[in-house]
Amino acid sequence: MSIRYVGGRVASALITIALLILINFVLFRAMPGAPERIAAGRHPGVTAETFANIRERWGLDKPVYPISIVGEPPFVEINPENQFARYIASTLTGDLGVAFSGAGQSVAEMIGAAIGPTLLLFGLGELIAIFAGLALGAYTGWRRGGAVDYVGNGVSLVLYSMPYFLIGMIMLLIFATTLGWFPTFGMTTPGEQFASPLDQLLDLLSHLVLPVATVAIGLIGQYSILMRSSVIETLGEDYVTTARAKGLRDNRILRKHAFPNALLPAVTLIAINLGYVVAGAITVEVVFNWPGLGTLTVEALEARDFPLLQGIFLLLSVAVVFANLGADFIYGYLDPRVRT
Amino acid sequence: MTTPTITASSLRAERWRLRARGARDFAGRFAKRREAVAGTIILLVFTVFALFPDFFVGPLQTAVTATGGRLDPPSVHPPLGTDNLGRDMLNRTVHGTRISMAIGLLATVVTVVIGVLVGIVSGFVGGRTDAILMRITDFFLVIPTFVLALVLAPIITDIVGPGVEVLGIRMTLIVIVIVIGITSWSSTARIVRSQTLSIRERTFVDRARAVGAGGGWIMRKHILPNVTNLIVANAVLVFAGAVLTETVLAFVGLGDPFSPSWGQTLNEAQEGGAAGLGAWWWFTPPGTCIVLVVLAFTLVGGALDDVLNPRRRARR
Repeated sequence: MSIRYVGGRVASALITIALLILINFVLFRAMPGAPERIAAGRHPGVTAETFANIRERWGLDKPVYPISIVGEPPFVEINPENQFARYIASTLTGDLGVAFSGAGQSVAEMIGAAIGPTLLLFGLGELIAIFAGLALGAYTGWRRGGAVDYVGNGVSLVLYSMPYFLIGMIMLLIFATTLGWFPTFGMTTPGEQFASPLDQLLDLLSHLVLPVATVAIGLIGQYSILMRSSVIETLGEDYVTTARAKGLRDNRILRKHAFPNALLPAVTLIAINLGYVVAGAITVEVVFNWPGLGTLTVEALEARDFPLLQGIFLLLSVAVVFANLGADFIYGYLDPRVRT
Repeated sequence: MTTPTITASSLRAERWRLRARGARDFAGRFAKRREAVAGTIILLVFTVFALFPDFFVGPLQTAVTATGGRLDPPSVHPPLGTDNLGRDMLNRTVHGTRISMAIGLLATVVTVVIGVLVGIVSGFVGGRTDAILMRITDFFLVIPTFVLALVLAPIITDIVGPGVEVLGIRMTLIVIVIVIGITSWSSTARIVRSQTLSIRERTFVDRARAVGAGGGWIMRKHILPNVTNLIVANAVLVFAGAVLTETVLAFVGLGDPFSPSWGQTLNEAQEGGAAGLGAWWWFTPPGTCIVLVVLAFTLVGGALDDVLNPRRRARR
């Protein structure tokens, strides 16, 4: 990888993040009504004093932008103290403001509490889906036109067309409500006293099974479709024909020649699609009442908690931008054609 | 032997003959693909439901006009059971077709118009315009646009006010259309731009320029017709995504309670604890419809892409 390639990618990611912060700032100021009115909620009996307090705390009595246009010469006024600079400074230090809906909790605190369960759920789900999806895709692509391909590809397409939460509802209905094998909601059994840490772990695992399975099943379809077309493309390459001409066994051609080369575009696409995955999978948490970012998002939506919503948006977007950057580096490192 | 004279009318006739042959060619190649034909049939059935829901199941049932008891399971009547307010699920699902498909269609139009505009202008004009437009496109390609849609929807609703109606469509639904449009045009723009770049170099564009055609004219009369195939194939895939996005937006509570799209019904089923109550008939009918429609659009879109996209056609 040349320094130019790395620098270009990093610069591009930084510009994207800067744009994200700008969008966040403008969106919040675009809403009708004074921000302190929105911040105080729609409660009756809010006094002028409360408004003044909020204005003071958020710096709302300062001008919005660093440069403002005024009526008399020199027409442009520079505001050293402004909301925009204050917003950027506080965002960069991780201060995302105070959530409307929590009991005085900051946005960062609420997100911090929800991020662990989400990472656990999606980390496990992704891992299973990547292994199972890539294996299924490689096999169906290899046996293109056969019975397994026909069924596997069909199932993948149906799963691909299904919203994640629908898979969740079906799993919940079958395995929790009807069969009673797993608990129906949450991450732990409420009010339960555990005899040992092992019991506690088992309790967590039994709550984990259905949501993780839902995420994995939802993703397997996508990943297997990706891998299938990648393998099919690879099989048309000259080096596979050469390997065949050398008399290598099918199994060896797949594992040593086709599979490694097909893996590269597939893995990159997985990293690029991460944003869509995270977004779509938000709904899985809602179905299982999983105390993660997805449930928090929907709660923020219901309460019209804009600071919290924007905090989540910023966090997820920045995470996706970094995932993309990572994918670019992996690609640049592995594929000599893009190194220059 | 006499040389045939070329007149305006003979030219027109020749043009139509060529078009008809092209259409026959296309229909022949398309009909050879079983999955494309199956997808088309599914879409036709749902189109009929969307156009005449009253003919099949009568007017939309509300909490007041509901005909059944609370959460009746499927039987002879009602065939698909009822929801928690006694409303017939068959009635709601068929009426949901119209709302889901209408939002999907409008959102697709908005998406494709933005995408094609950006793509053609970016590819044809080039230079700094291209650089700036593609920078914006890349931004939308990278960020999780669905989460942006989640943030935008309540903000736009707050700005315009939720109770307003435009052309008889409720504002909540229009906001969903706009939000899907704003957040999903980037891949269309990319595809159209790359095709525009190659068409721009063809001789007929030089010829048009030589006889004094302006940029706007060339983009409309020479570039646009040559990317139409690509746009059609892409629009079908965009439609699938739009239906899915609407469903998820409605599911997380951004839909309109008075317009029971499939996603809205699923939201009610989730809030009412359908899965926990074992009321499978509350969410399987709209769920099945969504899967069928998205699957059909994906199949048809994929087939169109193979048949119409010159690059993919050359490969097979």
